Amino acid sequence: MSVSMIILLVVGIIVILMYNSLVSKKNQVENIFASVDTQLKKRYDLIPNLVASVSKYMEHEKSLLSEVTKLRAEANKPNISDKHKMALDAKVTSALGSIMVAVENYPELKANENVMHLQHSLNEVEEQIAASRRAYNQAVTDYNNAIEMVPTNFMASVMNYKRKEVFEISEGERQNVNVNELFDRR
Amino acid sequence: MKSISELTDFYYENLYPTLKELDKQREQLKYRIFLVGFGFTFIFFLIFLAIPSSYWQSGDLIYFFGFVYVALGGIIYKMLTKDYVKEFKANIISPLINAIDSNLNYSSEMHITQTLFERSEIYTSSVDRINGNDYVFGHINGIKIKFSDLHTEKRHRNSKGKDNWSTIFQGLFIVAEFNKNFHAKTVVLPDSAQSNFGDMIGGWLQSKNMARPELIKMDDPKFEKEFVVYGTDQVEARYILSHSLMEKLLQFKKKSQHPVAISFVRNHIHLAIEYNKDLFEPSIFHSLLKYKIAMEYVQTLHLAIGIVEELKLNQKLWSKL
Repeated sequence: MSVSMIILLVVGIIVILMYNSLVSKKNQVENIFASVDTQLKKRYDLIPNLVASVSKYMEHEKSLLSEVTKLRAEANKPNISDKHKMALDAKVTSALGSIMVAVENYPELKANENVMHLQHSLNEVEEQIAASRRAYNQAVTDYNNAIEMVPTNFMASVMNYKRKEVFEISEGERQNVNVNELFDRR
Repeated sequence: MKSISELTDFYYENLYPTLKELDKQREQLKYRIFLVGFGFTFIFFLIFLAIPSSYWQSGDLIYFFGFVYVALGGIIYKMLTKDYVKEFKANIISPLINAIDSNLNYSSEMHITQTLFERSEIYTSSVDRINGNDYVFGHINGIKIKFSDLHTEKRHRNSKGKDNWSTIFQGLFIVAEFNKNFHAKTVVLPDSAQSNFGDMIGGWLQSKNMARPELIKMDDPKFEKEFVVYGTDQVEARYILSHSLMEKLLQFKKKSQHPVAISFVRNHIHLAIEYNKDLFEPSIFHSLLKYKIAMEYVQTLHLAIGIVEELKLNQKLWSKL
């Protein structure tokens, strides 16, 4: 075999390896986004129940409740982009947070078993969402690194891979949900 | 749970009469060991002289002679100290554990089973010999916990057909219920590659570890520096290792002052703390009343039993109630 043939073969193998690693990174991002999506859905499913349980008491927060309901309806629409989903998630997180803070002002609600159960379920889902968001961000970081770093960046530009965005994780969220406080309230 | 200083007080106040008694025994034992050791060596020396030098031509006899000396000496030492060790464990270690939490049970002879050790998947090599003692089990704040001193070994057969034993793990092995439900396996190991080879090469080496499942990169730089995480599920590993738990594990590692490996399997947390020595054994050549020695018993027990509070394992999530 001539030298040029060997060089060609080696180059071919390198190209295949780079191609495969990029594809697997892209798929990893998609896979993990799917699990983020499942968790988000789980949370959206809790919303109608929550709104129904608290709306009787929460006179002053009517606008907040209707906003959450609206956001949920929007998220349930088919064919919304990943980016849109991420934006909705941020809004829902902050709105639900405000509702939970507001619940504190209603002793009847705090003592209500149904609300308490919902609160715990929400907490659990929030933890799972946080975990899948973090996993997603890591996958996206790996993917972005690959498409920007030498030598895979050449391959990526040929394959027309674009940078993906990560979930913004606010400082408040980095602090974990304090389950202890929840328990003390019982 | 009592603090370390409260336990030290307990050690020196409530256990003082027993300690003094035991320390007297220890002094006597020390002389007996010296005496017997001297006699034993002398007899061996005489036998050595009695054997004609022509027999020593082949190295095998010297080898055998040395082996018998060490093995016999070990057996005699064990026999001499047996009663003292037993008494120490019954009268010092057992009350100490009781003082920490009365819901705990103690057995000086049992240990964590091989099944549990292997289930943890912290170590990948197969276990050929397992030894251990000082098994503590029970509930703390409603959380099931058990731990023991453990020594696991692997057998290597060399070309001559002789067995060699190498240690897989020696130290404290703790198993406790975890406060979250999970299905995947997650293993957290001390990070040697990244600290030896730097981030780039070390990270690449970690991702190529064939004996382990997928590498999971954590988003806490301090944690990443100390540990490397492998797991079968990227999302679940992060569900378990929340930011607060990562911080707590870092603190725990710092407190233990020994290499710590952790795994999360079947809704349990497993911790392997490498001490590379037999723990909770009475000192023979130093006084039991010495502060340093007392602190070692107290600290180790406090560390193991304290994990429930330290890692907040009693704060269960809703799904676990």
